[in-house]
This record gives sequence, structure tokens and C-alpha cells, in this order.
Amino acid sequence: MKIIDPHVHMTSRTTDDYEAMASAGIVAVVEPAFWLGQPRTQAGSFVDYFNSLIGWERFRAAQFGIWHFCTIGLNPKEANNPRLATEVIEMLPRFLAKDGVVAVGEIGFDDQTDAEQDCFARQVELARTFNLPVLVHTPHRDKKQGTIRSLALVRLLGFPEERVLIDHNNEETLPIVLDSGCWAGHTIYPNTKMDEHRMAVLVQKYGSDRIIVNSAADWGISDPLKVPKTIAVMRAQGIAEETIARIVWDNPAAFFAQSGRFDVSALEKRPDMDRRQKFETNSVLRGEPAQAHR
Amino acid sequence: MHDASHGSQNQLLVVYTGASQHLGRAPLALSDGGPDVVDHWTVEDGGRLLFLLVRHEASPSPAAFIDAASSCYQQGDAREQQSWLRAVAFLPDPARFLPLVVDACRTNILPLFESVACENPYPARHFPERNFNQMVLKALFTGVALARILGLPERANPELARMASDYADERRAAGRSIPVDIALAMADRARTRTDT
Ligand SMILES: [Zn+2]
Repeated sequence: MKIIDPHVHMTSRTTDDYEAMASAGIVAVVEPAFWLGQPRTQAGSFVDYFNSLIGWERFRAAQFGIWHFCTIGLNPKEANNPRLATEVIEMLPRFLAKDGVVAVGEIGFDDQTDAEQDCFARQVELARTFNLPVLVHTPHRDKKQGTIRSLALVRLLGFPEERVLIDHNNEETLPIVLDSGCWAGHTIYPNTKMDEHRMAVLVQKYGSDRIIVNSAADWGISDPLKVPKTIAVMRAQGIAEETIARIVWDNPAAFFAQSGRFDVSALEKRPDMDRRQKFETNSVLRGEPAQAHR
Repeated sequence: MHDASHGSQNQLLVVYTGASQHLGRAPLALSDGGPDVVDHWTVEDGGRLLFLLVRHEASPSPAAFIDAASSCYQQGDAREQQSWLRAVAFLPDPARFLPLVVDACRTNILPLFESVACENPYPARHFPERNFNQMVLKALFTGVALARILGLPERANPELARMASDYADERRAAGRSIPVDIALAMADRARTRTDT
């Protein structure tokens, strides 16, 4: 089965992960800009981070046959540093114009402060300007309230709900999100957030409309194979193949295609095939495959 | 085009980035075949060169142009940087951009390295010997065919021949194959041998 992992922080992962993901059927990933575990102290650090998402990481993924897209935004944790937040939001436009940037995100609430709400709103306006969808992170603490506030803000701003993906849902928040027009993401983690079995139960209860699953793997305890592992559990629970395919392929593809920069038909062939063709037409192909060297 | 000539630097960057969405990546098929150098260009590459030339005409000072052109490179994604590197040889007074082009050779992103090293007259024309040799060696290391490096026969030099031959020794010692086209980097040595 072809799989999109629509939320995974590959910058923190190894080439072994890429290899395993490709062989488990993952064809494309979306890497949202987020924090790095350690707060950044200057706007320049964001410039380099965003550049690595649209440059090096995309190339690295392609070497393993995986299409890499990203979302660009100021995350809610670092929105609480007002000087930094202003500088970063001012430079977002030039990144939001780039190819392969398929949404604004991840934005949203963490501590649910006024500063977070302000940055959230300003970035939703940027999404409107650049005609991009929005990826919204929901907080670990006081999640239900944070989800309700996020939906209320989207509505207040008059931003089209079908262009918003509310992420990291659980049993409590999913029905609330489905009642709106927004899409509902689920992060399958080893210990927290949501697991494969609970996810299968949710699909049995709510179906597959606007439902999305991701690994959100990063530098913490997480697993970049959680989407394929969730597929296995859903199958074992007797969930229909079409339902599963909608959740792990059609839905994320349809959501990000709203950016106009996520061409599902182009995903039919793996990106490294392109490179091999390029070599064949342009030059003598040597016996060894081209590789990145440090 | 107006934004490219008279707009603020930010407007120029937007136009430069937007070339991929507005012009696309179809091959730049020139009707008469065009010079070999542009064989691998796409329409967006051609458009971006045009933006930079227009900007040059409209720039109040050389410094303003250097600044504008440099930020198109520095703030570009890999595709935009690729277009820039293909075009830099055709900008007025291209030698002033040498540090950026030399730095681009340090990339790990192979297509970016290829856009400097392959089908590009810039390195042979402007690189100091040391940087030129490093680039040729990197092409050997990364499996890029040396025939794609323009001006390599003219720029061949004893130091490059030594580096290539050391590389061949290293491969042999490790029991690995030696690139068939490594002789192209040793042209100088061959020439010296027939001379004496
Ligand atoms: Zn995340």
C-alpha cells in the first residue's frame, strides 16, 4: 500500500529510518517546521533551519526514493519570545513562496498564551495571502480547551475550514474537530498521544472522512514506521482496504493538494528514478550509484 | 519584469522564486539548438538569468547589483540556486561572484554541485587552480562524468594529475574500481610524458 506520512520531522532521523520507511511503502513525507528541543535565540537560526527543510532534507529524502515536502511557520513554543517571533514572522513570506512548501505550520497553541494566539492569527493571515492550507498543532496540556480555542480562532478569522488540519487529536477532541469543516490528524506515538489500537477503534467509530494519521517522529521517543504499523493493526481489526487507503493516502494528498504544489500524479514514480534517468541521458553512468559525501 | 528591474529587493526575490510557478521546468528548447551550455537548462533557468540581467541594467550601482544578485542565490532553495549557478557565467563581470560559486562546490546536494561543475563555463574561466582541482576531484568522488566539465583539457595541470593519480592509488589499495575517465584529469601528465 502506498503511504504518505503527513507529519514527520526527518531532520532528526537517520538514513536507516529513510531506508526502512521507503521499504514499508512510504512514498512521500511532509515535514512541518517545529522547534528543535532547545529554544533558538536568534532569527538567523530559523533562516538556516527553513533553508535546510527546503534544500538538504529534500535531497536527502530523494536519495532514498521518498518525496519530501515541508510546511513553514513559527511554532507555538517559540511564539512566546516576542522579539524573536516578530523577526521570524516578518521573514516567513519569502519561504512561503517556495516550491515544496505545502502549508503554513505547524502553528497553534502550547501554553495557550496571548502571544501564541497573536502569532497563530498572523500566520493564518499569511496562509490566506499565499493561498496555502494551515497545519495546526494542538497542545499536550489542556488539549481539549486548546482544540476548541484553535477552531474558534480559525472561525473568527473567517479562514476556510476545509483548508485547516488540526493535528494530534485524541478520543476527546476528534468529534469536536469533525463537527467543524477542518481535517483531523492523529499522531501515533509509542507512549503518549495515540496508539495503533486506539486509532483503529476511532476509525471503526467515525469512518475515514477527513481523518489522517501520522508518526510525528522527531528527536524524542517516536517511531517513523507508526503509519505502516497502524495500517497493520487496522487490517487485523477488519477495517476495509479502501478505508485504510483513504486515511494514509487520499486524505493527506487531498489536503495538501490545496496548496497547488502537491501534485499527486507526480508521486507515481519515486524521485531517485528521476536521477537515474538524468544520469543516463546526460552522462556516462558509472557502476556505483551517486551518493552524498560528507 | 517590472518588479525585477525596479522593485525592492524583496520584490525581486519574489519574482525570482516565482519563476518556477510562472515559467515552469520544461527544457529550454532553443529553436536553433542554441549553444551546448544551455542544453540542460529549463525555462525557469532562462527566465531567472533574464531577471538578473534586467536587474543589472536598472541597478544604480555595482554594489546594489552584487547585493541583489547575491541574495537571489543565498535565499534560494536548491532549484533557485541551481538556476543561479547555471547563469552566473553570463552575468556582467562574473568574476566578482567567485566566492559564492566556490562555496557552492562544497554542497552535499549533488544536482547543485553538478550545476557548477557540469556544462558550465564558469569554473574553467574563473576558478583559481586549487579550487578547480578540488572540483574535479569531487566530481570523481561523486561519480560525475569528467567529460561534463567544460574546459578541463585546457585547465589540466601537474597538481591535478598528481591528485588524480593519488586517488587512483587509494582506490586500488582499497580493492575498489577506478573511474574509467580518470585519465581526463591526468591529461597534463600524459602531455608531459610525450614532451620528454
Ligand atoms: Zn510536529
